Amino acid sequence: MSATIAWKQFQAKKEAYLAYARPWEKKIASFLTYRPEASPVTTATGPLAGLPFGVKDNIAVDGFPLTCGSKMLADLISPYDATVVARIKAAGAFVIGKTNLDEFGMGSSTDNSALGKTHNPWDVTRVAGGSSGGSAAAVAAGLVPFSLGTDTGGSVRQPASFCGVYGFKPTYGILSRYGLTAYASSLETPGILSSDLELVKTIFEVAQGRDVHDQTSLDAETLASRPVKTIAVLADLADLDPGVKAVYEHTLNVLKDLGFVLVPVSLPTLDYAVPAYYTIATAEASANLARFNGIRYGHRPVYAENPEHLVRQSRTDGFGDEVKTRIMVGTYVLRSGFQDQYYTKAQKVRTLIGNDLQKVFDQADLLLSPTFPVPAFVHGDKTMNEFQQKLADKFTVTANLAGVPALSFPAGLSGGLPVGMQFTAPAFGEARLFEAAAAFATRVPVAACPGTSLDWSK
Amino acid sequence: MYQTVVGLEIHIHLNTKTKAFCSCRAEFGDEPNTNVCPVCLGYPGVLPVLNEEALIQGYAVARALGCELSKRTLFDRKNYFYPDMPKNYQITQFHDPVGQNGKIEFQAPDGTVKTVRIHDVHLEEDAGKMIHAGDMTLCDYNRAGYSLLEVVTEPDLTSGEDAEAFLLAFQRLVRYLGVSDGNMDEGSMKCDTNVSIRKAGDKLGTKVEIKNLNSTRFIKKAIEFETKRQATALDGGQRLVQETRLWNENRDVTESMRTKEGSLDYRYFPEPDIPPFAPDATFWKTVEGRQVELPLARRQRLVAAFGLSKEQGDFVTESRFLADFFEESARVSGNGIAIANWLMGDVQKELNHFSLTLESSPLTPARLAQLQALLDSGRIHIKIAKQLLDAVFEEKKDPEVLLKEKGLEAITTEEQLAPIVEQVFAKHAAVVAAVQAGDGRQRGFLVGQVMQATGGRAAPAMVNAMVTKKL
Repeated sequence: MSATIAWKQFQAKKEAYLAYARPWEKKIASFLTYRPEASPVTTATGPLAGLPFGVKDNIAVDGFPLTCGSKMLADLISPYDATVVARIKAAGAFVIGKTNLDEFGMGSSTDNSALGKTHNPWDVTRVAGGSSGGSAAAVAAGLVPFSLGTDTGGSVRQPASFCGVYGFKPTYGILSRYGLTAYASSLETPGILSSDLELVKTIFEVAQGRDVHDQTSLDAETLASRPVKTIAVLADLADLDPGVKAVYEHTLNVLKDLGFVLVPVSLPTLDYAVPAYYTIATAEASANLARFNGIRYGHRPVYAENPEHLVRQSRTDGFGDEVKTRIMVGTYVLRSGFQDQYYTKAQKVRTLIGNDLQKVFDQADLLLSPTFPVPAFVHGDKTMNEFQQKLADKFTVTANLAGVPALSFPAGLSGGLPVGMQFTAPAFGEARLFEAAAAFATRVPVAACPGTSLDWSK
Repeated sequence: MYQTVVGLEIHIHLNTKTKAFCSCRAEFGDEPNTNVCPVCLGYPGVLPVLNEEALIQGYAVARALGCELSKRTLFDRKNYFYPDMPKNYQITQFHDPVGQNGKIEFQAPDGTVKTVRIHDVHLEEDAGKMIHAGDMTLCDYNRAGYSLLEVVTEPDLTSGEDAEAFLLAFQRLVRYLGVSDGNMDEGSMKCDTNVSIRKAGDKLGTKVEIKNLNSTRFIKKAIEFETKRQATALDGGQRLVQETRLWNENRDVTESMRTKEGSLDYRYFPEPDIPPFAPDATFWKTVEGRQVELPLARRQRLVAAFGLSKEQGDFVTESRFLADFFEESARVSGNGIAIANWLMGDVQKELNHFSLTLESSPLTPARLAQLQALLDSGRIHIKIAKQLLDAVFEEKKDPEVLLKEKGLEAITTEEQLAPIVEQVFAKHAAVVAAVQAGDGRQRGFLVGQVMQATGGRAAPAMVNAMVTKKL
């Protein structure tokens, strides 16, 4: 029985589901709001009929909280549905809860959430990754068949890699951003997490396309259809964890064995990707997060001397340290007289990275790389400080800077922990990602997290 | 002797049904916080969607101001915190506004035509409004997200009087284009004024920006005040500082608000939520279709065509409706001067009397032309004409019809007048006898009686001649 068919019995087997899910959720705390009991008895039809799903808590769902993992928005209830949520609902699925995340999507561990600590289902001493850590953990633990995340610099793919599930980031614009709490508008997009690649494709199908509420949204264009034959691999890969390196090399062998031609390439701009990414992301964040001032909604002090004091105090109390750091950095790089040195330069790097990737895609259909240089690390890991965690984003941020699609797929285990690899495709090349990942899965099936099961539906 | 140098930053509310980036009604004076939605309240996750009508109007103004029009216009974020601004950044245009490098002529109070260069024309959104009530501050976001157009002039104006005349001309222009009502008292037009002074031939002096100016009269006064204040300071050996000052309308002075050191860094950067807008052929055609003959050109043309005085020319081009009305009426009647006089005088009186505007009144260009034609052909005299005008307002009929119904046609022949004279002579036989006996003093009485009996329909000269003849 395929996973999706099992999940279609969710309504009928709800008691069994709850008995299975509650202990798991207690163990991993993937949700900030979890309402499996309250889920509607649905007679919906459509390709996703009857499927529950989780939504990262920075995406608007009508009537659900929209906390963004922040004390600032702990009490906010969204008055509307994000376009992707509305479209997935219209295909028959329903929201079962809102998943934990790094505050406003800023982090790689979900430990930057002000509202809860999420653990990796494979090893609860470890993080689920981030910022869509709750969405990845909930899928890996079998609490939902799929979940939505947001990917600004790898926030869907890295937790997917840490939790052993698929994490898909589409071409910028194909999934509407309307309803996604903006962190870095020009980089981010909704993304999909699931253990079922077919389901990822179906969700992408129903959620995609132009949206009148998002002027940057697009209809998917069809790339000249051709079977994937060539896969670019980076000639020089330094600083990989030995376990990740082993999985990477195994992946190369499997792909070769499947008949793909591996083409060695170099991405000379790769080392500049992370600085460029953080310059642009923080600059946009400094403006995007300015709206949270405690006046119209959100956290505010009980007493303020005047409006200015109210705003200052709301933001001082409401935001965590990582958010404050990024707002400050973003404010710094946008100062007048310094933009050429930082923001404008970062935009130039962004263009160069796009050009570099284009050259790669002139030689190959896809680019393969590890998703992240290490497997899931333990909470409060001292071997990777905040700065090193950011540097480790270099494989994921390139896709965001270039606006191209990428997919992290479960590629194997290292020391009992899942390791994801990543395919990156040219813009609108989503079909190539799915095709190659499906081929890979015929040789290396997705490993289930120990202790998880779909047998609750028996 | 110093020269005053003035540049203006004029904001107008565009005449769009909905706000600039959402579908909320853009309606002035509604119940606070009723025309709001997640987008204009800056809720998390919302995105702006650009109002195309605002773009059309923005381009139409830029085109009318002779600007170079952008073929790929961009939006930017201007960052600053203020409680009435929901997102704490304003969507505006910094790097590539809809229009740049324009120029526009206006007539100065001394009658000369002067040119002001336009630096740029850009679209942006308005903020909400703060209301201070006791120890509370209340926010009304109805106005947040209104489409605003900012027009920035080069420092080409040289006096308060000229600045006022320019603003009135600009107001007239946006009304002609139908893009804004331009009312300063309702806040749909605002103007920040930059003033500096210099000795003739020197480079530009240190400028001061004056805010809180909500009438053209205050702008004139503020410029005059600043000129004197800055001159006194310089003559006293002081250095001027670049600063923002507020107009205090109770005391007729400007007061320092903040100096440049305390000024904000707006950290402009491209708005990632709105893609660049590149007008297509249909858009350009629409913008072209919105162009009208501009007020100054129209005034000059009408003055020349109908031989109007400066005052008449100014008056009849006050609004596009009035100019259209005048031109149609003057063309049909062939007597522009008379039509202008009607519009400036008796028509105004009637409008006031009936509390009407010309737009809502029963007077049409055809009716006014008809009235004047009756006068010009001698079928009525001026006194009757005024009665007929009143009757048009009262009964909403054509002057010709009213003339017949009321029997007010002028008495122009001796045959028509003779029976009336007969009657008056018969009634006042004693007076007639006395006048005939040589008492000339009562001759005027007889003329008056005849005039009265005609109801003013006969020309006094003709009555006079006939009475004399009869005696």
